[in-house]
Amino acid sequence: MKVSFFETLRYRSPQALPAEWPVPSGAYDRDAGAEAYRSMIERLQFVEELGFDWVSVSEHHYSPRILTPSPILSAAFIAAHVKRISIALLGPIVPHSNPVRLAEELAMLDTMAQGRLIVGLLRGTTNEAMTYDLNPAESRERTDEGMELILRAWTEPQPFGWQGRHFQYRTISIWPRPLQRPHPPTYALGVSREACEFAARHRLGCGVSYGSFEIMARATKYYREQCARHGWQPAPEQIVYRANMLVAETDEEAHEQLGKQSKQAPFAMRAGVRDAMTALDRRNLAGEARGPNVNGVLPTTFIGSPDTVVEQVRRCRDEVGAGVLDLSLHPPGSSDVDALMCALELFGKKVLPRIRDI
Amino acid sequence: MFSEGYVEADGFRIRYLEAGQGPALVHLHGAGGPRLTRAHELLSQRFRVIAFEMPGFGQSPENSRTRSLPELASTMAHAARTLGLETFNLMGTSSGGKAALWLALQAPERVLALVLEAPAAIRQEGAQSPTGSPEEMARRLYAHPERLPALPALDPAIRAKQQSLVGRLRGPNRDAELESRLPQLVTPTLVLFGTLDQVIAPEMGRVYKELIPGCHLVFVYDAGHAIGTDRPEAFAEVTSDFLERHEAFVISRAETVIHP
Repeated sequence: MKVSFFETLRYRSPQALPAEWPVPSGAYDRDAGAEAYRSMIERLQFVEELGFDWVSVSEHHYSPRILTPSPILSAAFIAAHVKRISIALLGPIVPHSNPVRLAEELAMLDTMAQGRLIVGLLRGTTNEAMTYDLNPAESRERTDEGMELILRAWTEPQPFGWQGRHFQYRTISIWPRPLQRPHPPTYALGVSREACEFAARHRLGCGVSYGSFEIMARATKYYREQCARHGWQPAPEQIVYRANMLVAETDEEAHEQLGKQSKQAPFAMRAGVRDAMTALDRRNLAGEARGPNVNGVLPTTFIGSPDTVVEQVRRCRDEVGAGVLDLSLHPPGSSDVDALMCALELFGKKVLPRIRDI
Repeated sequence: MFSEGYVEADGFRIRYLEAGQGPALVHLHGAGGPRLTRAHELLSQRFRVIAFEMPGFGQSPENSRTRSLPELASTMAHAARTLGLETFNLMGTSSGGKAALWLALQAPERVLALVLEAPAAIRQEGAQSPTGSPEEMARRLYAHPERLPALPALDPAIRAKQQSLVGRLRGPNRDAELESRLPQLVTPTLVLFGTLDQVIAPEMGRVYKELIPGCHLVFVYDAGHAIGTDRPEAFAEVTSDFLERHEAFVISRAETVIHP
């Protein structure tokens, strides 16, 4: 099992924040922000020392919860401060980006990071459609087309034009190209039929997140079936599973900590916006319709003592087939950095060495 | 609406379908024979479209005379001249793309610009022509056959007649004689491939780009081999823009003002 640390930044607000999304920019404290970025580097140097394989960043906007609106900038900054660990973008939100620009920046990043880049291409959570006025009803199609264009821009040696549905370019010829050939290890992120089929057709990995083993296994099973239809089988590390983990010295302690966590989403959309958004945002699990997770709290899938968590990881490997775990060891958005550092140390010393061979 | 006509040229009586006004755009079809698509209709809003039925295809009598695509290209150049087209734009689909390339090489002064839709002039190793039942053909030709009306079954007599001609004309996957001449092609050329082409690998597009000095390559997203059927609006837009502006079509004219 490979292990990735999901870095969300830890912003310690000196004041209580309004509990709705988007969070007003005026509530941002500049010094607290500067401290969050500074301490991120210290933390990731420790993460590297503990032996994690990847550090991952993702794209979220308009709140302090995950303070990385440009994951590419975060990744470039991180790459300059760590030595060996791979940097995983899980991921840039494709449908509200310029795919050619993404292809260029990811290629630059892979080159600057000396081939240590891992890429996950993402449709984005429902609320993110509001970020740059993306029509939620178009986000699926724009994602599929954008992913196809990024792969083409990385691999096509001659200048070309793109006559798409949502994107049109007459001339594309990117410099630099990615350092890794033909491109960085790439995942289509999501449990949808479309993401699984896209990944299978292009021999990409598949990334699932925040569901139970049983639910995620339905998506990875579908992905593997699609791969077989295209004549190949993915390696274990082509399935990434992002989840919350809460590890403590004992099971009781872990559950006690979970009990203290808030059951409310920290920054919820207003009900009218949420409902309208949800109505437009069609989602599915391996082809079966499912509602988007809006304003919900993400489950903690791995919880307990090191012994218990090791067993859960073993089950995850067997049931979901994941070869990479992308973990939050403390709820994203929590500003309790000391608790996070303790959890990291406990995981790094008592869990990580024991799940290597799973 | 397309109207039917006939022209006597090079010893053949050649059927064609014509619609529209404006600069002439001659179309040479692929190995399956002539088939009008929504893209032809769209193009006929800006061009005088003349879609030929090449001798030996479709309703025409068996053609046992033509031995090669350069010969067929020469026949079609005669046909265009007989229709009064001294110069014209030329579009070729699949193997019609190879005929169109030969025509442009033979008569560069007559071809204003060339559009090749999923051309079959340069094919990947192991390339196979689509064959079989209408359903099998549709799966090879289209990105989403389930969204289209079923293909009519081809009359067995027409199929047998076309197959023997296509067999003679097909040539090798990599035609050294043609490829050695492509660097001399002076005609502005647009090569289009669907990203889901299952007959000719879209990666073949780059070879045209490498060999032809004035070549532009455009991928049509979510289209199969029959681009004009799968994405007619996308196909017609880029084709029209290229025919009107040639290499300056790379300069965007899209307006982005939302409110003045």
